[in-house]
Amino acid sequence: MNRILAIIRKEFIQLIRDRLTLGFVLMLPVIQLLLFGYGIQTEVKHIPTAVFDQSLTTESRDLIDTFRNSGYFNMNYAATSFAGVTRLIGSGQAKVGIIFPPDFAKDLRRGGATVQVIVDASDNLVANQAVAAANSISQVKSLQVLVQKYGITDDQPYDIEVRPWYNPDGIAAYYMLPALLGMILSMMMMLQTAVSIVRERERGTMEQLLVTPIKSYELMIGKVVPNFVLGNVLVTISLLVASLIFHVPIRGSLLQLYLLTMFFITASLGMGIMISNFARNQMQAMQMTFFVLLPSMVLTGFVFPRAGMPKVIYYISTIFPVTFYFDIIRGVMLKGIGFRYLLGQVSALLVFSVIFMTIAILNFKKKIA
Amino acid sequence: MRRILAISRKEFLQMSRDRLTISIILMMPLIQLILFGYAIQTEVKHISTAVFDQSLTAESRDLIDSFRASGYFNMNYAATSYAGVTRLIDSGQARVGIIFPPDFAKDLRRGGPAPVQVIVDASDSLVANQAVTAANSIGQVKSLQVLVQKYGITDDQPYDIEVRPWYNPDGITAYYMIPALLGMIVTMTMTNLTAVAIARERERGTLEQLLVTPLRSYELMAGKVVPNIALGYAQITVSLLVASLVFHVPVRGSLLLLYLLTMFFIAAALGMGIMISNIARNQMQAMQMSYFILLPSMVLTGFVFPRAGMPKIIYYLSAAIPQTYYLEIIRGIMLKGIGFQYLFGQVSTLLVFSLVFLAIAVLNFKKKIA
Repeated sequence: MNRILAIIRKEFIQLIRDRLTLGFVLMLPVIQLLLFGYGIQTEVKHIPTAVFDQSLTTESRDLIDTFRNSGYFNMNYAATSFAGVTRLIGSGQAKVGIIFPPDFAKDLRRGGATVQVIVDASDNLVANQAVAAANSISQVKSLQVLVQKYGITDDQPYDIEVRPWYNPDGIAAYYMLPALLGMILSMMMMLQTAVSIVRERERGTMEQLLVTPIKSYELMIGKVVPNFVLGNVLVTISLLVASLIFHVPIRGSLLQLYLLTMFFITASLGMGIMISNFARNQMQAMQMTFFVLLPSMVLTGFVFPRAGMPKVIYYISTIFPVTFYFDIIRGVMLKGIGFRYLLGQVSALLVFSVIFMTIAILNFKKKIA
Repeated sequence: MRRILAISRKEFLQMSRDRLTISIILMMPLIQLILFGYAIQTEVKHISTAVFDQSLTAESRDLIDSFRASGYFNMNYAATSYAGVTRLIDSGQARVGIIFPPDFAKDLRRGGPAPVQVIVDASDSLVANQAVTAANSIGQVKSLQVLVQKYGITDDQPYDIEVRPWYNPDGITAYYMIPALLGMIVTMTMTNLTAVAIARERERGTLEQLLVTPLRSYELMAGKVVPNIALGYAQITVSLLVASLVFHVPVRGSLLLLYLLTMFFIAAALGMGIMISNIARNQMQAMQMSYFILLPSMVLTGFVFPRAGMPKIIYYLSAAIPQTYYLEIIRGIMLKGIGFQYLFGQVSTLLVFSLVFLAIAVLNFKKKIA
């Protein structure tokens, strides 16, 4: 026990002395949260639009107003030819082009008029939004005309009331920031353990530790505990930023959040130690960590919904502990659910932790660089 | 000149001996592209849905069919109570809940409005947005059908808005993501790897040995930069092969132009890497600092999220990252088939970035010893 405490004390001292790393570890979550929180918008409004109005009538101006009022289209350019529209979209200055034929008003009065809406579909998210908005405007305006023409006073027959739960205003930050917390934790825990152990090996200080009476598991525990504390500090900093600056709610129990996070921290630390056993130098340790981190950013439901992925990829995503942690942290913060609904995820993390730690310790055969 | 060649040769030798690193550098784009190309979908279909049908009539089943036919909703669960729906959505098993009141068919036959509740798990904004749009759209279309039938309306739709998607008519996410991934891969290798490699030489002391030779700063830099440029191009080539052979991403513009303009981006990224290596005192710090550049590169440059939607400050921040301009170049050439005339602005910006970064890097590289 004494030996474990001694190692813990040494690790803490080392951590505090490396000012740059400490600053990095504490500041990075804050910066990341700010960047992501403000930068990520899943709903795009004010798309730069070019209008080529060959009709120039009240009717065409009315439709243009409708487009503008939807909030999705910014009428930035008035083109004077089709080539002009092509140029604006080709250069990327406009993402949408609206083209009115000369007889637009006449056709409309006669009962049916066509308008071309060109969308730069090389930009998926913007395109999806623009297409949906354009179609919606078309339906609504058409309905208005028919209602007026036929004097329809009926209410809309199918009254579909959509109720968004947990995040009624659809604020992207509510969805992203809890997940970002998980990513930050994952990255820091893995990097810190993997790199610090390998660095000791490279420097030869590991060899010095190994000639002491210390056992493998004692050294491991000594290294894990300070990082465990660091992990909880990171969680606290991240939660403060998320709630104070972005007003992300914490609807569930804060205590449960910290408790359940501990399972995840342990699993991540275990992965870090496993990596340190395989890497022969710091460079490799970092590369391997990154190699694991990158897929875990894309496949695990961090940004892109797992529901949309092909089956194979979906199954691959289940080998990352962070996939389960996302369910946990989003569930506790946004849905206010507790341990009862998260039993599956927690057990998965438990299994991960036990397996990783066991492999790590068994493999840590007091290897010398 | 000979000294530069000597350094380049040494770098190449070192690279080829570090088998693990080389395979990671060449394999990584391959694996990433395949994984992400298949995994990343911005349009989500088959959302897990729970239905609580208290009406159980032909009308309610008809509406359920409409929801199913849209492709967006998978009727996975038939709930028998409101609490059941709540439980399914809370636990995350269902993302959408559709609730029909008992009098649904009666209200519909009377002419409406027949309310239907659609609960959406909005904690997942991407999925939620689509579910909400789809649900509203279904409501509008079905309502229109009813009115058309009731009033015997034979008009064509008054406003016929023909939407024409250019460059990517089928809206294939891979076409959008993969060119951008190329940019990400180059950033990671050129900035990260260079920074860490130079920091490692400094840590090991081999840099000190180089400095006692008649070698000048800029010669050392040039010697180190050249093999990395070659590596960058190797990665681009591998990535382009995967992109076109596996994902059929088109290359509508000039391939030659793409390779030429990539040079500017590689130079800028390398410049950043060397600048970092000048400031970092060891490998760990080099890695951490390059991460500072990497992360905003992923989020702010238009890689995934459209820049158009970002707040002004963040938008300007993204203008300081070289990758932003390269993404426009590579997507422009590959998907839009545009040429130098439209990309002049982006290219000149990258040129400026490269010159500034490399100049700072060389001036700063005052033969510092660890």
